Amino acid sequence: MHPRRRAFAFLATAAAVAATGTVASLAAQSSPRSPSAATPKRGGHITIARIEDSTSFDKTNVFQNESIWIAEQINESLYEAGNDGKTLKPWLATAYTKSKDGKTYTFKLRKGVKFSNGKPMTSADVKFSIDDARKQAKGWGYLDAAIKSITAPNPSTVVFHLKFQWAPFVADMALFANGIIPKNFAGQSRAAFYKHPVGTGPFMWDKRVVGQSVSLKRNPFYWQKGKPYLDGVTWTFVTDENTRELQLRGGQIQVDEFPPFNSIDKLKKTSGVTMSLFPSTRTDYLDMNELYPPLKDVHVRRAISYAIDRAAIVKSVLFGYGTPANSQLPPQVPYYDKNAGGLQYDLAKAKAEMAKSKFPKGFKVQMLVGSGAQVENTIGQILQSALKQLGITVKFKTEDTSTEFNDIQSNKYQLGFSYWTMDIADPDELVTFALDPKGGAFSFYTHYNNPTVTALSHQAQREVNPVKRAALYAKVQRIAASQANLGYLYYSPYRWAYTSKLHGFFVQPLGNYHLEDAWLD
Amino acid sequence: MGAAAESFAEAAVIEHRSGFRRRWYRTPSFVAGLSILGTIILLALLAPVASRHDPVQQNLLDILQGPSRTHPLGTDELGRDVWARLLYGARTDLRVAFLAVLFPFVIGTAIGLLAGYFGRWVDTVTNWFVNVVVAFPFYVLIIALVFALGSGTRNIYIAITIVGWVSYTRIVRGEVLVAKRREYVLAAQAGGLSNLRIIVRHLLPNVVTQAIVFAMSDIVLDILAIVTLGYLGLGVQPPTADWGKMIADGQTYLTTHWELSTVPGIAVVITALGLSLLADGLADLLRPE
Amino acid sequence: MSLTGYVVRRLLQLVPIVLGVTVLVFFLIHLVPGDPARTILGNHATPAKVALLHREWGLDKPLPVQYWRFLHRMARGDLGSSLFYSVPAGRLVVQRLPPTLWLIGLGTFLSVLIAVPLAALAATKRDRLPDQVVRAVPLVGLGFPPFWLGIMLLLAFALHLGRGFPVGGYGAGPLGHLHSMFLPSLTVALAIAPILVRSLRASLLEVFESDYVTTARSKGLPERRVLVRHALRNAVISTVSVLGVNIGFLVGGTLVIEQVYALPGIGQLMINSIFQRDFPVVQAVTLVFAIMVVLVYLLTDIVHALLDPRVRFD
Repeated sequence: MHPRRRAFAFLATAAAVAATGTVASLAAQSSPRSPSAATPKRGGHITIARIEDSTSFDKTNVFQNESIWIAEQINESLYEAGNDGKTLKPWLATAYTKSKDGKTYTFKLRKGVKFSNGKPMTSADVKFSIDDARKQAKGWGYLDAAIKSITAPNPSTVVFHLKFQWAPFVADMALFANGIIPKNFAGQSRAAFYKHPVGTGPFMWDKRVVGQSVSLKRNPFYWQKGKPYLDGVTWTFVTDENTRELQLRGGQIQVDEFPPFNSIDKLKKTSGVTMSLFPSTRTDYLDMNELYPPLKDVHVRRAISYAIDRAAIVKSVLFGYGTPANSQLPPQVPYYDKNAGGLQYDLAKAKAEMAKSKFPKGFKVQMLVGSGAQVENTIGQILQSALKQLGITVKFKTEDTSTEFNDIQSNKYQLGFSYWTMDIADPDELVTFALDPKGGAFSFYTHYNNPTVTALSHQAQREVNPVKRAALYAKVQRIAASQANLGYLYYSPYRWAYTSKLHGFFVQPLGNYHLEDAWLD
Repeated sequence: MGAAAESFAEAAVIEHRSGFRRRWYRTPSFVAGLSILGTIILLALLAPVASRHDPVQQNLLDILQGPSRTHPLGTDELGRDVWARLLYGARTDLRVAFLAVLFPFVIGTAIGLLAGYFGRWVDTVTNWFVNVVVAFPFYVLIIALVFALGSGTRNIYIAITIVGWVSYTRIVRGEVLVAKRREYVLAAQAGGLSNLRIIVRHLLPNVVTQAIVFAMSDIVLDILAIVTLGYLGLGVQPPTADWGKMIADGQTYLTTHWELSTVPGIAVVITALGLSLLADGLADLLRPE
Repeated sequence: MSLTGYVVRRLLQLVPIVLGVTVLVFFLIHLVPGDPARTILGNHATPAKVALLHREWGLDKPLPVQYWRFLHRMARGDLGSSLFYSVPAGRLVVQRLPPTLWLIGLGTFLSVLIAVPLAALAATKRDRLPDQVVRAVPLVGLGFPPFWLGIMLLLAFALHLGRGFPVGGYGAGPLGHLHSMFLPSLTVALAIAPILVRSLRASLLEVFESDYVTTARSKGLPERRVLVRHALRNAVISTVSVLGVNIGFLVGGTLVIEQVYALPGIGQLMINSIFQRDFPVVQAVTLVFAIMVVLVYLLTDIVHALLDPRVRFD
């Protein structure tokens, strides 16, 4: 063949092939989707994008959700919360018995559980883990305060001796901070171990690119046979909500953590995307640091709390996906009192409270907001405008959200935003954290100190009768609400948008998710 | 150049100043720039009249509304009137930009005069400073300075001054180097006039025109810088309206209400266009025939 | 003078400038109100650590002494430790450099691709319609805030005109990088093209009217040859000069554009570090940016000298 014609023929063929391929792939995309199979498929890797980067994987000392939810894929506990967020399921333990006086708990450990390094889990590991956890005075140690000692009579039995009766004990054992690690930190120093922890969970440490991503891969020794289905998971750090959404739509990521409220309606209608609103125990608060004199005045705090138009916030910032908060506790938690009486919007009462306070003419205050946290920034501006009517001038300080969190933790703030998701199916954790100045967090970093409330809380911890306990917690909630220890803002569901190819992804009311159940089409 | 040519150029220097008055309305770019800028400044000054809304007044029940009779450009995510925020944003950004240009202009021109006139070690040291500052990308240094000093308009002025004086110094110094060889300067020196007098009364008026022309385009740069700082969250603080912050706030709603980010951006472009045209026209007018 | 001689001379001239850069970076920490040690340590500040830093850095000694120690640490490669991540700041910066370099490189390439044809068109058809249109480009184009341009492009390409380009992130492998970097680089290119167009057009016009060209024309040399050989060469020299001079602007522009497209480069590192109040990293990035610019100035000077031997004698 003439060279030119040969070339032409080749080109024509190539073009034809290309055209066919294009048509074929287009056709494949437009054909009706086959219904997703009910049987999980093995394999695949998912990427989850979130607004904050994890700060630490030391589960005994970290309070940041972005770190906790990853740590939970690595380390597991004796019992874990069920999908309703209230019942407790045996997990690394199969059963427990409680002594008559309620001060001794004996747990039977599950057989055949191995760490990701291949070594079997024994009672020595459990004892070591919990002993280590309860030593963390600046961390979650406060939840294990009731434990007097732990013994391991044989490799599959662990016995806890408590100082006194402790109602939330098993719920506490289900906390991630009490997750089981190899004894003696698998031969490493504590610090080195927690840079890439080892556990019994479905996933094990893969790698971390600081400031960008954390990756975990399948734990080949996982005790639940056949799981996890996924080969691995990567969590990336993308501060911009828009970018995350665009990445999800473009298939770059599979899961978008907390898409903006204003996108929910649109995402619900987007094909290929599942927009889920999971019932949550999430409550958002305005933190008022009592170390700043004006905020120590209860009338000032009541005034501020009265000035927050929660209904308007729910409508215009949450686009209706939330409810005004009226108590320290969220409705999903046992012993929540719907008559707790958290102050609601009333500008006249707000002004009256200011008049009664020591700062009737108002004062200047600094509000911490997270950069890229659209909801916070918007609410901040709403509050700035509302508080101006009380003579309070708000100046913003914008910080990265993790830094903001750190600053609040170290009390370097005046007004700030926080949220809480329960970590155990019991009110004690939050009540202690938020209202007990010695509860590990200086009363949610506000230094709120009301001895009556503290005493009631301690009583409730040891009260095993549910009716009496309910009454105690009701009192606690009412007193705290009337004193506006925090500005209770709103309750909202967990918002997760993910590709419709992902199945088995479920976020519990406690906020965490079990990735061993997830699989990709 | 020969003496004749020099005095001819000399005459031109003086002449074009009066030529300015005769020619400005015949220079299209100057007229166009003036009109555009003039309109914007007028609107900004008359903001309370041009819009009956308070730019910081939130209206949480009426957020993200489209254009209507009460809200010609609709409302933003907090129910604030967009047209009002646009106008008051013009006030903020224009005022900050004009002021932010002033300090570098004055300081830079002064240093340029001294460096060019006295030469030798003054010049060398000045050049060193200039080269060091110029080594930093404009935005990087501004952002680093605003970070170190803290946010707020006062620190924006300081940051822009520290970074911006350089261009003026270079321009003025260049002009001075040429001008100081001119007859009228040499004559003044021979005549025993003090250096200060020579600099202020003879050099300054002739070299400053180039600096003024540059200042016009520098304002554009400053507006962009302020808007960029606002976008990054390091600029003018809320609730003051600022175009940059408006673009940033609107970005969350990009996929649903893209006009929130687009409209303030267009405002920036039009303002910059007006200033650029003005600068071009001015350069044309002030160029010796 | 030989090329090497020129290069050596330029390098020597750079030394005081680089030193000056380090002085300015050194002073950044002292601009922050309060104790520099507390700023550096942030939330990790304990009285013991603060005292230690005071001793190591000589914070109670006179400034020149402090500067000397600072220089010493830098020479050892110690740019401080990230407060947020507890890793050396220098290492963080090096890790994040590639996307920024890609952005600058690809952005420059695209901007030349856009600007040169436009400028050539304008210069050859002077004062006629194409020229008028092209001259409008810098006027309008310079007013576009680069980040806004980026957002508009994002809107158009990533959302509406088909999902052709990934959003944010850097991609994997050279092709992946190219794919991810295209839109951001285009943004950079569009931001800098107006300046290039204006300067290039002016210098091309100069060339056309230069004695050399008119002489060549009068001698009857074919227009094409004249244009291509002489004008092109000068155009390249001009482009290199203009790019070099504006590199500060270009590099700085990448900072904001990285933010818009969520690119993990040093620009985004700087902005994140600012909100994380991670001062050592901010300082380290500022320094690296300045060094990059200085190197580019050097490079453009060398290329200029290569192309135009006359430069070496100034």
